[in-house]
Amino acid sequence: MRLRYPIALLLAAAACLPVAAWAEDTIKIGFPIPLSGPTAVYGKPILAGAELAVQQINAAGGVLGRKLELLSRDSKANADEAVRLARELIIKDSVDFLAGTLTSAEAPAVSTVSKENKIVFIAPTSKATILTDPQHIHPYIFRVASNTDVEGAAGSFLMAKFKDVKKVATIAPDYAYGRDSIAAFIAALKKVRPDIEIVDQQWPKLGEPDFTAFITAMMSKKPDAIYCSLFAGDFVTFTKEATPLGLFKAIDNRLVDGAEIGTTDEAQALGADYPYGIVADAYDPVIWGGANEPEAHKKFVADLKAYTKAEYASGWSIVGYQSIYALAEGIKKAGNTKSDDVAKALLGLSWDTPVGKRTFSVQSHETFAPEYWGVMTKVADYPFAIIKDPQSLPTSFPTN
Amino acid sequence: MSAGSLFSQFMGGLTTAMFLFLIASGLSLVFGIMRVINFAHGSFYMIGAYLAWQGVAWFHPTGAGFWLAALLAMLGVGAMGAVIERLFFRPLYGREELYQLLFTYALVLILGDAAKFLWGTQQLSVSTPPVLAGSVQIFGTTQPLYNLFIMAIGPLIAFGGWLVLNRSGIGRMVRAAQMDREMLDALGANVGTIYTGMFVFSSCLAGLAGALVTPIQSIVPGMDVLIIVQAFIVVVIGGMGSFWGTFWGSVIYGEVLSFGILIFPGFSLFSVFALMAVILIVRPWGLFGRPL
Repeated sequence: MRLRYPIALLLAAAACLPVAAWAEDTIKIGFPIPLSGPTAVYGKPILAGAELAVQQINAAGGVLGRKLELLSRDSKANADEAVRLARELIIKDSVDFLAGTLTSAEAPAVSTVSKENKIVFIAPTSKATILTDPQHIHPYIFRVASNTDVEGAAGSFLMAKFKDVKKVATIAPDYAYGRDSIAAFIAALKKVRPDIEIVDQQWPKLGEPDFTAFITAMMSKKPDAIYCSLFAGDFVTFTKEATPLGLFKAIDNRLVDGAEIGTTDEAQALGADYPYGIVADAYDPVIWGGANEPEAHKKFVADLKAYTKAEYASGWSIVGYQSIYALAEGIKKAGNTKSDDVAKALLGLSWDTPVGKRTFSVQSHETFAPEYWGVMTKVADYPFAIIKDPQSLPTSFPTN
Repeated sequence: MSAGSLFSQFMGGLTTAMFLFLIASGLSLVFGIMRVINFAHGSFYMIGAYLAWQGVAWFHPTGAGFWLAALLAMLGVGAMGAVIERLFFRPLYGREELYQLLFTYALVLILGDAAKFLWGTQQLSVSTPPVLAGSVQIFGTTQPLYNLFIMAIGPLIAFGGWLVLNRSGIGRMVRAAQMDREMLDALGANVGTIYTGMFVFSSCLAGLAGALVTPIQSIVPGMDVLIIVQAFIVVVIGGMGSFWGTFWGSVIYGEVLSFGILIFPGFSLFSVFALMAVILIVRPWGLFGRPL
């Protein structure tokens, strides 16, 4: 007994020492993100992108001479859980900043925590306009991804290019993102092609296991083309049921989807069953089916593949990566890690990313980032579809 | 609305119905005979889907690969069912139903995490077997061969199940176990074996349903919970424990959902839940069940 006590004390001291020394130096970033459940498919690659950014920044000497430290937690894509984790990260782990969350359920919820605690929060992927609209904006919230208005503008631009299309049907998951994205698409389409009629709108629930009846109901209205905001497993199921029902043949593959199903993740899941010839988008095409790939992107994908040890990189990592670099640039510009100063520094800040420059709007704290769109094509080198000649769209969007 | 599109909608509803029947029949059977509400039935279905994916990855995606994988899924889930029944369900038979419910719910969580651990969270997908990949034209509409195949499988299993339960020696024993377990035990029959057999049969059905769904749906974590809710609605409509009730319950569910989507596109789920609510009020034991 007498011996065991000092040993335990020594061990405890040894365990504490490096941690205490480390904690003193690092700039801590709390990162709630779904790591379990169906949306972990996206949460994990986003976290990998953020981790890669932290690794690179630290290897180059950190920010203001201090290393970055990422504290990731599983939000389970649940708004309540994300809020609880954000509070815990602030109180218990005394993080300096928040980043992360995936869905448009979690991000607006965490935004309120960031407002209460006056801590900068950078949302990588939430696209719903509610996150930064005039009623909800506050000095500490920033959004890296585009929003549904930007997505709708790009989607309607591509739909308008089908000159002979007169009747369009829409299908989207029945929740905030799906409803917002379809409303934005229709509003934008009315401006460029008032002659197009919306003949049918379908609202399957998120995670719908069976799309057959939605597809046949849609086909009975005989649309010339379809605008779609389905993604992940929903798009996989939709495609596998729609193909034998003859949907893609009936619309001559004129389906436009604005929910990032052009990513390597989605293309790999469907493999040869992918509906080649449709128009889709991605935050990052990863595999560039054309000659216009930026040099910085080639390096990013090589680094990411080395970091994740995966055969193909994910199209979602980029937003995690961009978020961390945005924060690092903000801290550098502010010259300290006080959220009030960093929040001011982020206003109007431009920073370089592997897919081009991004700038936070002074008024609405978002980047209005374009995404990469194109026709999903089969090429000899890959067993899955890739975006041919990815085009950054919309080319211009009225920012504020 | 043309006749062709109404026919398409009807056939779509029938496909949904027959898939649900494959799943709900096992659930209903286990409840009818063993009085166990198996929440984990949807998880067995999910494991069947993952096993089928694994089988297709091991064997070959073309030729007989898919069918071998489906067999593997069916037998694999059946074997899993046997182990679970022998080790865990058996001590719970005499207990209150709440214990069984809690236990099957724990199984849902354990199997869900096990599937994530083994196969990851990435959505997976299996191609349609080449023989059934095409479609045929019926009344000017395009009908996938695979859907027609599913529509044939459902009634086949319903009829086979009915034949075994009502016209064979095994079926007589099973019905006897359902009516009076103690008496059958006292007469010297091995009720334990009958129970295990029924549970394994129900697990096999779940595994098979999981395998057969892979060519037209994606395999994702969470598919277990989604399907079990639908299967329960079917069983409530048709009547707990009634085999034909489950069959017609599935057909009604599929068609109401399908035409509900056509007629009120904004409220796709409303029609089904409204139907369930009406049945629960008017005939709480279901359309084909008997009052408890």
